[in-house]
Amino acid sequence: MIEHGRNGTAKIKELISDLQDFYLLSVRALLALTRKPFYFKDVVEQMDYVGAGSFIIILLVSLFIGMALSLQLSAELSGLGFKMYIGRIVGVSIIREIGPVLTGLIFAGRVGSGMASELGSMILGHQVDTLRVFGVDPVKKLVAPRILSSLIMLPALTFIGDAISMLGGYYIAVYVSHQSGAVYWSSIRGVINLENVLSGFVKPFVFAHLIACISCYMGLSTKGGAVGLRRSTTRAVVASFIMIIVADFILTRILLYVMGFSV
Amino acid sequence: MIVFDRVSFSYGALQILREISFSIKTDERVAVLGGSGDGKTTLLKLILGLLRADSGRIIIDGEDITDKAEDELRGVRMKFSIVFQEGALFDSLSVKENVAFCLREYTKLSEEEIDRKVRELLRRMGLEEAIEMMTEELSGGMHRRVAIARSLAAFEPKMFLYDEPTTGLDPVNADMICRLILDLSQNGKGVIIVTHKVFDAMKVANRFLFLKKGGIIFDGSKEQLMRTPIPEIETFLSELRPSRLL
Repeated sequence: MIEHGRNGTAKIKELISDLQDFYLLSVRALLALTRKPFYFKDVVEQMDYVGAGSFIIILLVSLFIGMALSLQLSAELSGLGFKMYIGRIVGVSIIREIGPVLTGLIFAGRVGSGMASELGSMILGHQVDTLRVFGVDPVKKLVAPRILSSLIMLPALTFIGDAISMLGGYYIAVYVSHQSGAVYWSSIRGVINLENVLSGFVKPFVFAHLIACISCYMGLSTKGGAVGLRRSTTRAVVASFIMIIVADFILTRILLYVMGFSV
Repeated sequence: MIVFDRVSFSYGALQILREISFSIKTDERVAVLGGSGDGKTTLLKLILGLLRADSGRIIIDGEDITDKAEDELRGVRMKFSIVFQEGALFDSLSVKENVAFCLREYTKLSEEEIDRKVRELLRRMGLEEAIEMMTEELSGGMHRRVAIARSLAAFEPKMFLYDEPTTGLDPVNADMICRLILDLSQNGKGVIIVTHKVFDAMKVANRFLFLKKGGIIFDGSKEQLMRTPIPEIETFLSELRPSRLL
């Protein structure tokens, strides 16, 4: 019983220490973005990996989510005679909620796991130690470019994903549900206003920062060979997923309040 | 001079080093022997300030580095050149870019000058033809030699540290690495080689430390090592006496 209590206390201490280290890493990485030296080449390389590498997956998933959403709405709204609202609902839900969250989750699954495993293997292979011996700050060289490239590419991918989802929604609305294309697009245009766009584009920045920081932290805290690498990669993806969902709820609450929506 | 004064270190609950004390002059050639998990690599990392001791003091050339912050350690680290186990090359970079890494970070040399210096270092290692290769195309021995070239590129170290430089290599490549280590230690430069391969350690070092269960159980010359009655070391030395295995 006492032993059990001690284990519990040790785990809580470890969690608090992890949170403190994570917070410090996030702050140091953000500060590194403002101080020399800047590793532009690394940023461009990372942008290629996180952006161009994720493009096709996000394109496909967004297209099919848009089509599925439009199909569901058609089925539900046809009976009520509200098919003309398909575009409006697809637009609002994609721009404000589904687009940022879905793109964030795909990004965390593909890019977050990649970052964690790459940095983890660099820890195990002593490459991070080598950088430190050479006087190169691993946070500046490895973490900051990954955060910056994520901050640039996730919002861009979200924007593209939103557009593709709405295109998928259009295909279903027009060719399956036989709604007028002009009505669909005019409904979409009606929801592309400052409030919705701002609401949809604040989230990707927050998600990008969370995913990159969590993944880099998990990667850099890898211990214990291949099993440790597997553990840190899994933890990076799971923690990113949870944080995206939690942050999404908190941001939605704040943004609705700031935009003056009554709930 | 490297001085360890009652240094202890642990990974969580696992105690690796227990109050060890020794001193090494920067022109000595020392081999740190011991089994896996006995703290050999940890010792090298403590010298470079890559790990922080739990207790005790580590003094490098009269400077206490025990509690120094990361950015204060650069001067100390520049006194050493380290080659980690398996080389620790950056696998996203080519051989040329690996060797040029510090030149690009810390010098303002032109592209031609960098190319010339990299070729010169690789030629010294017998690797000039590998300049455009990626690291995954290199053999184990080539990995170590590129890592040695990289460690020599930008700094003029006082002492070379090698972490298991011949592990996993065939005898020919291992011998080549040992000769390279000896060659680089000319002009009064010291060497600390961490290894469990006694045969290779004998070729390079003239002083031997033996780590066991977190402590130093032997510190002496080659002759003293060969005559020691300590059973753990005798078992280790059986590598040199194959007849005992028969």
